Amino acid sequence: MKTVEIEHTTFVIERELPGSPRHAFRFWSDPDLKQRWAGCHADWTVLDERFDFRAGGAEVKRWRTPEGDELTFHAHYLDIVPERRIIYAYEMSFKGERLSASLVTIELMPSKTLTRMKFTEQAVFLMGGAAREQRVMGTEQGFDRLLEAVAAETAEVC
Amino acid sequence: MQTQALDRMFLALADPSRRGLIERLSRGPATVTQLAAPARMRLPSAVKHLKVLEEGGLAVSRKVGRTRTYSIQPRALRTIADWARSREAAWNSAFDRLAAAMQELPEKESEQ
Repeated sequence: MKTVEIEHTTFVIERELPGSPRHAFRFWSDPDLKQRWAGCHADWTVLDERFDFRAGGAEVKRWRTPEGDELTFHAHYLDIVPERRIIYAYEMSFKGERLSASLVTIELMPSKTLTRMKFTEQAVFLMGGAAREQRVMGTEQGFDRLLEAVAAETAEVC
Repeated sequence: MQTQALDRMFLALADPSRRGLIERLSRGPATVTQLAAPARMRLPSAVKHLKVLEEGGLAVSRKVGRTRTYSIQPRALRTIADWARSREAAWNSAFDRLAAAMQELPEKESEQ
């Protein structure tokens, strides 16, 4: 039997975004605008993509990595208040095994001409066999990212 | 991290053969011979690259008898807590792109 470690983590990211909350909201709600920033894995093949932005709606993404492994993202929108709040639950799986499940809350608040965004993720990481493998892969990607970050100083990567 | 240590780490990662060695080591410890052959490296060349990785803090080695075994620096492999931190880092870079996208496509233009 496989041992699965469970780890609960919460993290909060606060950002100032250029533009009004209305503008910021559209970059979460409009698939084309969201694509501009949320997807950035040039070497992953998209196998499936669904985006149904409404309370009760689902967002699904399925990719194949260059190594041929499948990675899925499955989100379920729970609460949406236009220009103000988005709450969704999502899970990530690697090769059919669950890696994590999270609850995400995005709050948008006007701040003069800008938007203050507060992003809170309450995550459960499931550290089983596949998670370990993904973690090693993540490390390799980490190195690639580091190199990309250096390259990005002279050229845009994403 | 100290600038000097960071410099050494960048140097260690700046070479595709060394990145190949790191990838191999992330799957488990190996001897110089085991590392050199699949990477199509001569032994002296492999030894040199591994030394750079060690100096860059990415690999560690241990000598038992006449055999030196290399493994990835445990710190370079993420712990559970680091995994969560890496997700946070991923969001942070996504939000950098979000801010840039909003800047590039201001309110009026994007609504046309």
